[in-house]
Amino acid sequence: MTALATTVNVMHHAFRAGLADYRAIFTWKSWLAGWMVRVIAQVAFFALLGERIGDDQKTFYLLVGNSILVAALTGVFSLNMTTAERWAGTLPLLVASPSSPIIVFSARGSYLAVDGALSALAALFIAGPMFGMDLPWPRVVAVVPLTALVALASYCFGTFLAGIVFRFRSINSLVVLTTHVSLMAACGVNVPLSYYPDALEWFSRVLPVTNGLLAIRGVLDGADPATILGDAALEAVVAVGWMTLALASFNQLASRGRRDGSLDYGA
Amino acid sequence: MRAFVAGFGLELRIVRAAPDALIPLVTAPVFALIFLSIVRESGRPDLQADALMAPVLMTLWWIALQNAGNMITGDRWQALLEPLLATPASLASVLLGRIVALTCLGLVSFLEVWAIGELVYGVSIPFEHPVALGLTLLVTALATAGVSVAFAAVFVLTRNAYTFTNSLSYPLYLLGGVLVPVAILPGWIQPVSSVIFMSWSADLLRASLKPSPIDDLWQRLGMVVLLGAISFLIGRALLFHVMQRMRAKGELAAA
Repeated sequence: MTALATTVNVMHHAFRAGLADYRAIFTWKSWLAGWMVRVIAQVAFFALLGERIGDDQKTFYLLVGNSILVAALTGVFSLNMTTAERWAGTLPLLVASPSSPIIVFSARGSYLAVDGALSALAALFIAGPMFGMDLPWPRVVAVVPLTALVALASYCFGTFLAGIVFRFRSINSLVVLTTHVSLMAACGVNVPLSYYPDALEWFSRVLPVTNGLLAIRGVLDGADPATILGDAALEAVVAVGWMTLALASFNQLASRGRRDGSLDYGA
Repeated sequence: MRAFVAGFGLELRIVRAAPDALIPLVTAPVFALIFLSIVRESGRPDLQADALMAPVLMTLWWIALQNAGNMITGDRWQALLEPLLATPASLASVLLGRIVALTCLGLVSFLEVWAIGELVYGVSIPFEHPVALGLTLLVTALATAGVSVAFAAVFVLTRNAYTFTNSLSYPLYLLGGVLVPVAILPGWIQPVSSVIFMSWSADLLRASLKPSPIDDLWQRLGMVVLLGAISFLIGRALLFHVMQRMRAKGELAAA
């Protein structure tokens, strides 16, 4: 088997293992009655604040931002994987195997990007009409790949963070939750980027969500295609950037754990 | 009562050793900043006080629900559930004590949002009715714990409590009128909200920050306590039946 075929084989099995994990958490019924209800409630929670403010445009702004944020929140969950492996007792085995841990982790959690994109789109297409928002056809179709891009970029970001958590596993939950609220606060989800100080605005541009969300807002507002494509390209660059950082750091962090014996369950 | 006090003390010691349960205290100030930025950017400074109170209620509920969901499962995994049930103490009282300890610590979020509002935007909490505000926070912490015991009993029956704890946050914030009064919700949802203790708490908190007199303060405080107490009693009965069933089927041990 060639190196490429071996890698693809490992990724295939890792993806199937990830799906099996997910099926252990959710059935179709609990996904719809639990997860989707929560997602739509989350979007409605923010959209209703817009209603209370008394501004339809603000309502739609909050609705779109918080719908797309769902893709990011789910994607970032990938950083839970290292801790899950540790609890299952499989982390040392994984690091000891000839495959690179990053290959396994990046494939194993990729279902999260799919789930994130689907959840975000469902939120937008269900909550939007509920609040009387116009989803301009056929332009709105472009929102689908853009949402997938946001989910992918967030997943890459989450995979990078998983490498950090690999070394500092005690802060796993803290990193997940602070990442969620930081993305919610800093990526133009609830207020325009211009509301932030300049430094924060620049910082938010290297985070997943920000550029993709601008592209999606552009699609819905009928912006110039060049502007939309520019923002989408920036989101893609951010995704590639975080995945490159993940590739560069993950194996080194794992090797350090192997050296100092901190990979096992009790560490 | 002794079981309650023992549970309270136990949880304080657990939190001291592993403060993960209090992570929502890290996110409370960020939520306050998010809500404040929305209302300020929209030119509605009159909603700032409400924006500060919402994260307090969210933190209380989040801390209680996440930990209630894991408490019995955690005890089961550590093989503590069997000896715990073998004691004459009521499991529901121990759980209530443990969750009340967490919700009391969750009240620190009030100080956090007050501080972050002042530091970042120069926005303070208007203490128009400080006694009513303090009493509302206290009964809300107790009621949250009571309701969480009921959920803890239900979670034991599920194959994955995470699915439910993760799903119950925003629906309750919405139905409980945490940020937006229940009156803004569609009419058909409002009767559901009226039996959720959080909707009474949220309305009272908002009222205690406004200069106008608070109508029916004691009745409304009583309603929060009553709904919390009813939930606790339901939870206690549920827990008893669930434990009986697990004992009969030999399912107490995690293995």
